[in-house]
Amino acid sequence: MSRDKIVLDGLSKVFQQRRFFRASDGLVAVSDVSLSVPSGQTLGIVGESGSGKSTLLRMILGLIRPTSGTILIDGQDVARMPRHDEKDFRRKVQPIFQNPASSFNPRQTIGAILRAPLEVHGIGDRHSRRDRVVALLEQVGLPADYAKRHPHQLSGGQKQRVAIARAVILKPSIVLADEPTSALDVSVQAQILDLFRRTREEMGLTSIFVSHNLAVIRQVSDTVAVMRLGRVVEAGRVDDIFSNPQNEYTRALIDAVPDHAAVINRPERIATT
Amino acid sequence: MIQVMNGFDWRRWRLVLTGGTIIGIILICAIFAPWIAPYSPYDLDVVAMLQPPSAAHPLGTDELGRDILSRIIHAARISMQVAFIAASVGLVFGTLIGVVAAYFGGIVDLVLMRLMELLFSFPAILLAVVLMASLGTSILNAMIAIGIVFIPGFSRLARAATVVVLREQYVESARAIGMGHGRIVFREILPNILAPLLVEAAVAFSYAILLESALSFLGLGAQPPEPSWGNMLNTGRGFMAQAPWLSIVPGAAIFLSVLGFNLIGDGLRDLLDPHMKE
Repeated sequence: MSRDKIVLDGLSKVFQQRRFFRASDGLVAVSDVSLSVPSGQTLGIVGESGSGKSTLLRMILGLIRPTSGTILIDGQDVARMPRHDEKDFRRKVQPIFQNPASSFNPRQTIGAILRAPLEVHGIGDRHSRRDRVVALLEQVGLPADYAKRHPHQLSGGQKQRVAIARAVILKPSIVLADEPTSALDVSVQAQILDLFRRTREEMGLTSIFVSHNLAVIRQVSDTVAVMRLGRVVEAGRVDDIFSNPQNEYTRALIDAVPDHAAVINRPERIATT
Repeated sequence: MIQVMNGFDWRRWRLVLTGGTIIGIILICAIFAPWIAPYSPYDLDVVAMLQPPSAAHPLGTDELGRDILSRIIHAARISMQVAFIAASVGLVFGTLIGVVAAYFGGIVDLVLMRLMELLFSFPAILLAVVLMASLGTSILNAMIAIGIVFIPGFSRLARAATVVVLREQYVESARAIGMGHGRIVFREILPNILAPLLVEAAVAFSYAILLESALSFLGLGAQPPEPSWGNMLNTGRGFMAQAPWLSIVPGAAIFLSVLGFNLIGDGLRDLLDPHMKE
């Protein structure tokens, strides 16, 4: 058993709703969450809207500071990271966001979007960057000439392919996915999930996959944490949780899944467009 | 920036083209004034004072016998300069302040925007006059003063647009990649807030011409004998009954340039509106 890559300990986030000259009571988005993800595994986080899933991810990404608790990635505390370590951290941890419509700058071409991480980190020259973008487009199943297109010329599924490409272009070891398939049609969802799993295996990624869709979580995760109102109500191995849920809320969630959701559980690959 | 469309659609571009033609003609007059103008704008001709339009003087002469057509053409220089410089000052500083306020938020936002509201609370012409009084009377100061008048409007617009863009996931993605503040502002934010600012700039152009005319009319802008549309209008006021062309010609010049810039502004607004795209 490899040691844990991501360790969350007593993590909380309270949003202060500032009013003019007075602070109101805070909104508790995440409360005392302790989880860990072993290297190379995927943790699924499931919960309804507003359960704090996305806030949790953004804290791990270092985009917002936790109110209390610690996030250790490879043993390093994310919130108390010295500035010069931040670039390394950024290369190591990459997100895939939920909404394909807003996760790309509409004024830039796909090529420019994919090159940006390489430019920011000063990796390669113009030539090697272009080659890398083309190779990556191919890897996610898109033709090379898509580099010249703008985001609005792509379908939702194609955009999520680009999102996956952007997430892995820096060769990170951790990918955090925030509902990457929730805005897609069911058939496209299956393709993107398949791509996600394949990429994860090829690159040996550790990942956290957030979704409100139990079927999706079951398909991609090794372990799962069920969140409700900012707290983890139950966590464990996927098979255990799904076959023998201990918590009332988890049971309700699982019972609420309609049978036809099994359709997207089909393991076979669907030809990509 | 603007999407290249297949096939040129005249109907979508007609406002911009009409306005552009008007402004283009005025710009050509301004740039090539010494070659286009039939006479010098300063040459006096005491024999030909206050002449109505004729073959020799197509737009007549003023109270000192100067050719009005030549003066109008030369005055276009000042008006265009004022329009471009004042609108640029407003655009650049207003955008800077607005983006910084929205991007950093909190106390920075609070202080900057309250300052802008302070500027906003003065009537434009009063603010310009006060600024001119403290800066001293010169055409360059007029440009700066008018530019300062524009800053609050641009800053509010830029701030509002930035607040919207900051909520987009691509800004969060940029942060996650490790992009610095400068790169985020120039790569991710500015290109996406430019459309409304350009529309506002076109409106600011026309307003700058009006303000410069007003300042010159009050004797605070271009100083005689240097011609500007405003001070020509001011002079014409005294001869309204005997020689109405003295007022009508600069008035028409102001009207046409304001119309031209407004048409461009309206046209750009329609063209750049994402909801109007096919």
